[in-house]
Amino acid sequence: MIVRGRELTHDFEDGADAVVVGTGAGGGMAVRELARAGLKVIALEEGGYHLPADFTQREEKMIPMLFQDRGARTTADFAIRVLMGRGVGGSTIHNTNLCKRTPDEILDLWARHFGVVGCAAQDLAPVFDEVERDLSVSEIAEPQRNPNNQVLARGVAALGLRGGPLRHNRVGCRESGFCELGCAYDAKQNVTKVLLPAALAASGQTVIMSDVRAARVLHRDGAVTGVTGTAMDAAGQPIAQVNIKAKIVVLAASAVGSAALALASGLPDPHALAGRGLRLHPGAAVAGFFDQRIDGVYGIPQSYECTELLDFAEKSDRRVWITTAFAHPIGAAASLPGFGAAHMALLRRYAHMAVLTAMVHDETEGRVTLEEGEAKLNYVIGDSDRAQLARGLHTCARILFAAGAREVVLASIPALRLTRPAEVDRITTDVVGPHKLPLLSVHPMGTLPLGEDPKKSVVKSTSEHHHVRGLFVLDGSLFPTSIGVPPQISIYTFARHLAKHAIERARA
Amino acid sequence: MDRPINSASPPPGIAIPRRKWLGSVLIGGALAALGGAVALLRTTGYESPSGIAVLRVLAAWQYAVVRAVARRMVAADRAEGVPSPDEVGVAEFVDAYLVEMRPAMRSDVFRLLRYVEQIAPIGSGYRRRFTELSAPEQDEVLLALEASRFDQLRAGFQALKSLVMMGYYRDSRTFSILGYGGPFVLDPAERTP
Repeated sequence: MIVRGRELTHDFEDGADAVVVGTGAGGGMAVRELARAGLKVIALEEGGYHLPADFTQREEKMIPMLFQDRGARTTADFAIRVLMGRGVGGSTIHNTNLCKRTPDEILDLWARHFGVVGCAAQDLAPVFDEVERDLSVSEIAEPQRNPNNQVLARGVAALGLRGGPLRHNRVGCRESGFCELGCAYDAKQNVTKVLLPAALAASGQTVIMSDVRAARVLHRDGAVTGVTGTAMDAAGQPIAQVNIKAKIVVLAASAVGSAALALASGLPDPHALAGRGLRLHPGAAVAGFFDQRIDGVYGIPQSYECTELLDFAEKSDRRVWITTAFAHPIGAAASLPGFGAAHMALLRRYAHMAVLTAMVHDETEGRVTLEEGEAKLNYVIGDSDRAQLARGLHTCARILFAAGAREVVLASIPALRLTRPAEVDRITTDVVGPHKLPLLSVHPMGTLPLGEDPKKSVVKSTSEHHHVRGLFVLDGSLFPTSIGVPPQISIYTFARHLAKHAIERARA
Repeated sequence: MDRPINSASPPPGIAIPRRKWLGSVLIGGALAALGGAVALLRTTGYESPSGIAVLRVLAAWQYAVVRAVARRMVAADRAEGVPSPDEVGVAEFVDAYLVEMRPAMRSDVFRLLRYVEQIAPIGSGYRRRFTELSAPEQDEVLLALEASRFDQLRAGFQALKSLVMMGYYRDSRTFSILGYGGPFVLDPAERTP
């Protein structure tokens, strides 16, 4: 049953075997697994419940509707814009469907340095297989590669770099190019299309409540007792109290939301670990302008990658992932440098533009804290990561020129406008620092890491809290480090893999 | 003029007070300008916007600042039939956009608008409000803000630019500037009964 919190006319109280807070990749998977186990599950989602017909492909409407803080969330120093999903389905509604598994080297690192057990590559491989089957993950074939991705593939080939096609979870794709604004054609094999219908079909007791902001995890004597929250109307004003009693609570409200809720709930945290270890995968974009039309806005986005600068070995000095990153008009206008006539002159070449992005597999550790009840993302990119970003953007510029770009533009202050390949060396660490270049994050992770040592981790390898029985974390908060790849399929898979422990606890 | 907010880069991951920076800038700027700029600090003397519905969030002076900034940032080329930011209603859009924004974030935007209107011109040598400057003077102030030596002011410029661009390029009349074909699906608001 779907309950729209914005339509509640009175307070809502209920009991369940489990409450899941958040309905993104982790929460959606958790709801399905718990429901399939025959448990009564109530999921609480802060954002709204939207149908494909609601996705109108208008940036000015979809961005405020589908993203936290109406798309305006940033790090505390305003240096990095952080785009995070809000609404039933979370970021699976607006992501580009990328499915890259957690690298084996990362899983090995977690086992060796963070004492994570039961999550080695051989443990997770069959789970990845199963999840990818569930979500119909497949490689985007070359004929489906849009012109922007063709530019990347062409440049990578010309320079002899390492690259290849990417895998997505999409079926019935119309190749419109509006993935990041929600799919009007319901072609995303995501939480709302695949997992929640399965959960609702598995158990008539499953309840998905939208428009409810969880305020506190209730706990007593070292065990959870439920969740309390507030239902909000369409304007975000509180209209009703929501209280759910349950002996299992699953936090799946993202690396920011879950950490904020943990902090707000006063959970035992003797080593002050909750909220620490925030990673963002910070990135930036480079635009190339071509003689011919590219029309990069249309077609399947992000279907090709360059992994020349990506090596997951410990202490690697190659920590940058490169792919395409085209934006619709509002995003492009906000991202291109300058203002006034010069800015509009660049925008007039929009159809001839290709855009690449460099994303850093970051070592920088930030921290989520609370300020006046709201999550605050404290993260200042470190020098090493800045150097990686500069290296990545430098390579992006080389690729664009190799693919035939006449001009390459970096929206730094002042803007770099390069017209010859030899000029790419002007892209240095000096020009890519915070506030010198628009930085973007779409992959927050960390903050409630798993591991066996309570001095280093917030939850056990089973994902159950070290100090609060019945409290589980099943989202990107779990990751002890950056994973260096888009986290969607990893979050689905960890939730699928670890949900069994919540089920066992519920049955105990 | 102002005390540097981030004169030395903090180490990675260290918190920076989120909502203090604009306040610091304003206080520092106001103190530095005290004496010559008292008149600027008033928010009176602004005409109420005419021909539009009642503003929901912005005060008349804030509306005037957004409108003035949008006119310079977008610089629509009227000769080619492109709509102006006023015709598109950029300031009205920003007013509506801010309605559901968290109060703390909305306050940050208001502080930024106050800075642009009252303090930033002083930094460029003007003793008049931003909205009273000529177009070239306003461009000079915005350029200084965009390239400010203070990190947070550059971030403020980018935030303002993002709001203005969202307000302008949402309108299908602007799509021809980009050679953009637009969405494939009809917005319910555009559907005829």
